[in-house]
Amino acid sequence: MQRFTELVVAAVLLAGLYATMAYGLGLIYGVLRVVNLNHGGIIMAGAYVGWLLHEKFGIDPYLSIPAVVAVSFVLGIAIYRGLVRHLPRGPAGAVQSLLLLFGVWLVLRNAAYLLFTGNDQTIRTEYSTRSVAAFGLALSVNRVAVFGIAVLTLVVLHLFLTRTFTGKAIRAVAQNADSCTLVGVDVERIYSLTFGIGTALAGLAGLLGASLFSFNPSYGSGDLLKSFVIVVLGGLGSVMGTAAAALILALVEVFAILALPSYLTGAVGFVLLVLVLVLRPGGLFGHRVLG
Amino acid sequence: MKLLPHWVSRPALAALVAALAIGAVLPKVLGWSVYSQNQVTETLLFVAAALAWNWMGGYLGQVSFGHSAMFGLGGFISARLLLALHLPFWIAWIVGGLVAAGYALVWGHPTLRLRGPYFSIATIGVGEATRLVMTYWEDLTGGSSGLSLPITPGLKSELYWWALALMGAVIAGSYALRKSTLGLGLLAIKSDVDAAADVGISPTLMQDIVLLLSGFTVGVCGAFYASYQNFIEPGDMFGFDRSISFVLMAVIGGVGTIIGPAFGAVVFVMLRQYLIGSYPQLYLGIYGVLLIVVILFEPLGMMGLFFRIARRFGLLRPEVEATLEAKAAVGGAAADPGAREGGAP
Repeated sequence: MQRFTELVVAAVLLAGLYATMAYGLGLIYGVLRVVNLNHGGIIMAGAYVGWLLHEKFGIDPYLSIPAVVAVSFVLGIAIYRGLVRHLPRGPAGAVQSLLLLFGVWLVLRNAAYLLFTGNDQTIRTEYSTRSVAAFGLALSVNRVAVFGIAVLTLVVLHLFLTRTFTGKAIRAVAQNADSCTLVGVDVERIYSLTFGIGTALAGLAGLLGASLFSFNPSYGSGDLLKSFVIVVLGGLGSVMGTAAAALILALVEVFAILALPSYLTGAVGFVLLVLVLVLRPGGLFGHRVLG
Repeated sequence: MKLLPHWVSRPALAALVAALAIGAVLPKVLGWSVYSQNQVTETLLFVAAALAWNWMGGYLGQVSFGHSAMFGLGGFISARLLLALHLPFWIAWIVGGLVAAGYALVWGHPTLRLRGPYFSIATIGVGEATRLVMTYWEDLTGGSSGLSLPITPGLKSELYWWALALMGAVIAGSYALRKSTLGLGLLAIKSDVDAAADVGISPTLMQDIVLLLSGFTVGVCGAFYASYQNFIEPGDMFGFDRSISFVLMAVIGGVGTIIGPAFGAVVFVMLRQYLIGSYPQLYLGIYGVLLIVVILFEPLGMMGLFFRIARRFGLLRPEVEATLEAKAAVGGAAADPGAREGGAP
């Protein structure tokens, strides 16, 4: 029973991080109909920016959140304005933007190899190994903090999308871009803003992930697939759906450790991705992602 | 008596036979060194693999990032057969190809219901899962230390003609797939799955056929590669870089055409050789830049460039060009059904 609780709590704490990164991917897809294959690249970039700030300037990873979010936001806007915007919209552009963003990912990975070598890096702080007691368990301070920040981010994002004018405009553009143009919404501005918010979430997820796990320039490819599983499972646009799907994925991953030999646990996410795409292409919670 | 189906153009057939005949005597005529002959062998092999990828990525409009799974499986099955049973290598290749085709059907049949980006992302999952499992399945792949094949003296130079034959067969196959009824069906599926199904084409059946053919051919290419290298290891055979290389060859050359991916493979193999020699730390980024530049400025790759030049000199009739572009376009009109129906959050 003790072990069971431990695993469930571990899964819940992990799910916060998963939901943050998946929401970034889902938001961009929901509004722009573009699968950001560079999601993993931004996650990796976020991890390295945080690492650099910690290593060179001694800034605590949690204090560097604004900087990392700002950097990945600007990076996302630059990618949208410079590249994605020039592709045809809609069906014809779907595969093209996939390949284009894949190219951007390759470039980012190569840049990271050149700048930071291929070695594994970690962000280690003095509280990395500390833990707090709760539910009769010892919880890592880092994991609890990451969970808290992830939940806070999702709440803020939800409020932004439902309560502010810009947030409502984003949701309106997702529903019908042409009508938005008619009523005076600057659709192009909303697109680049959305892309920026999506990548900012990816960057934040990268930084949070980097304070838990080690990373190298190919970090993020697994997270891209996990994000995709969650988006497909949870449907678009709903924070609750995303959170529930993130929890399901985290539970499956954590409990797979019990059932499978350790080297196979890495494959669980990939297998789940294929299963979800094939069995529930409409998502679990009714928001159809696929046509 | 009719010897050939009506869609076979005699000049094209004659050109292919002539090109293969010239290719067959070329090493002797030009007196190639062992090194250059091996380079050409490898190039021909990847022309075949790129064309087989293009059957899925170009003809069907389903971009696969997971073809390394079949390449690796073909290679390792064939290598195991050669090591255990000492079969003639071409039998081992065919068995390797068949196993790869079977595996392709296992993962492809369910995932091919997905279109466009969804299929592509599912294939990333398939490729990575296969790589992970294979890296730890030491009984088949020898784990991270890989497998060494028995060395047959003189085999490597003999492989040049085998590569030429393989490539010839794959080019003929590409032509047949394009021109036959099946090929027209594929074009219809690529343009609009639902409309194709409405006029009596079975997308499931046709996609499975293409999947089997593509998987088999890529598997044979992997098996060939194993014989050619004499040493294979899962990280290289099943690696994500391997899958990307097929995508890049076809995209650089011109997805959906026959000449495009073939030229793309030639350029890719030469470029990789040069980059690994001169800038090993930059090759990933250069692939990325190439991909960005091609998609942004010329989605049809080198073929698109060729169309452009031909148009400039008035060599291309507009209606010919229109058909060519429709066949070549990256991703079909139905690549993203979600966008058409506007399934909004």
